[in-house]
Amino acid sequence: MIWKGLGLITNTESPIVVVLSGSMEPAFYRGDLLFLTNPSNQRYQTGDITVYKVPGADIPIVHRVLETHDLVSDKRGVVAAAPLAQQQLLLTKGDNNHIDDIELYQGLEWLERKHIVGKVRGFLPYVGYVTIAMNDFPQLKYALLGGLGLLALIQRE
Amino acid sequence: MAPRSRKSGPSPSPAPPTSDTDAAPPLSPKDDSSVAHRSSIDALLVPVAGEEREEVKVNNASVADMKHACDDALKRFLSRPDLFKQIHTHTDVRLALGWLSVLIAGGTGLYGWRVPFEQSKPAVWAGVILYVILTITQTLYAYFIEGDTVFVGRRKTFDKRIVTERITITAKTTPSTPSSPPGYALGLAYVRSASGGKTLLGKGRASEERKFTEFFDERGVLDQERFERWVGQVVGRVMDGKAE
Repeated sequence: MIWKGLGLITNTESPIVVVLSGSMEPAFYRGDLLFLTNPSNQRYQTGDITVYKVPGADIPIVHRVLETHDLVSDKRGVVAAAPLAQQQLLLTKGDNNHIDDIELYQGLEWLERKHIVGKVRGFLPYVGYVTIAMNDFPQLKYALLGGLGLLALIQRE
Repeated sequence: MAPRSRKSGPSPSPAPPTSDTDAAPPLSPKDDSSVAHRSSIDALLVPVAGEEREEVKVNNASVADMKHACDDALKRFLSRPDLFKQIHTHTDVRLALGWLSVLIAGGTGLYGWRVPFEQSKPAVWAGVILYVILTITQTLYAYFIEGDTVFVGRRKTFDKRIVTERITITAKTTPSTPSSPPGYALGLAYVRSASGGKTLLGKGRASEERKFTEFFDERGVLDQERFERWVGQVVGRVMDGKAE
């Protein structure tokens, strides 16, 4: 419930994520823990580090925003006077990659705000290796859950 | 102070007096029923001699463990068929609140997993807020309303009218000092009433403290007979006093 509450407060479905690849070195290495927020009325700037999920791909990707544009929609014959946050189009690129992420977008030309999980606010190095280990060795996960269950049973209130 | 070592085997306890041949000296004119009542209670408040019991062994360096062992022994002793019947209201409330919060947490988690994030937000907000409210209620209940209460019991006897007795027992631990070991402080509140609680027949309060070293030996085994004798003595005292 703490996780769910944290997700609601930061407005993102996954407020803490682990870096799996080396595409953001030397800023983030594999195994770093990242803290995300997704303020819905703030525009994303070039240089922000975002975590996004392309529809059709399972794993979220953490890369830096290279370009931002605005989707000017012409609903009801009026155009917004000031650029709106929710109508942004983004292009990203990993710091350690040579090319931008167009190939990863699975057919899209731009990322929209709805694909973004969040913006990176802070990080902790190395802590993410615990999660990576638990994913690579599922026995660890079961051992941890079993241990927690045992603790809950033998403790008194 | 090291706990006293006890010899192995149960220490002999006095045989309980039978209530028919009451050897107590005749008392000044009080209710006949209270005399008979008192002696029959005294009979029950003594630990049963020679009963086969499971050994209770705890870590005697942990005051919390020792307190819990004493609380359990007290509940077992006072819940015997002719003595009090334990009222489980506090336990029931805490269980209900706990189960409700677990179910809500589980439901919210499942829902948030199935439904995409943006859609699920209102329901997850509701779940999280409900869970927080339930957890706060649980904590406040345990702290303020339940407090140190260990045992709440009721007893109905029939003389010429239905007499209801209600006892509430609190237990605290006193911390150890360089010159004394930790102690177990019992507090009792007793009410005797008739005709459905409308007529108050008697009230009593008592509190007494004993050090844990009197009941636990150096291995951490609880001397249940000794403990029960002490509890019986305190309960008897509070039930006797101030009868109208």
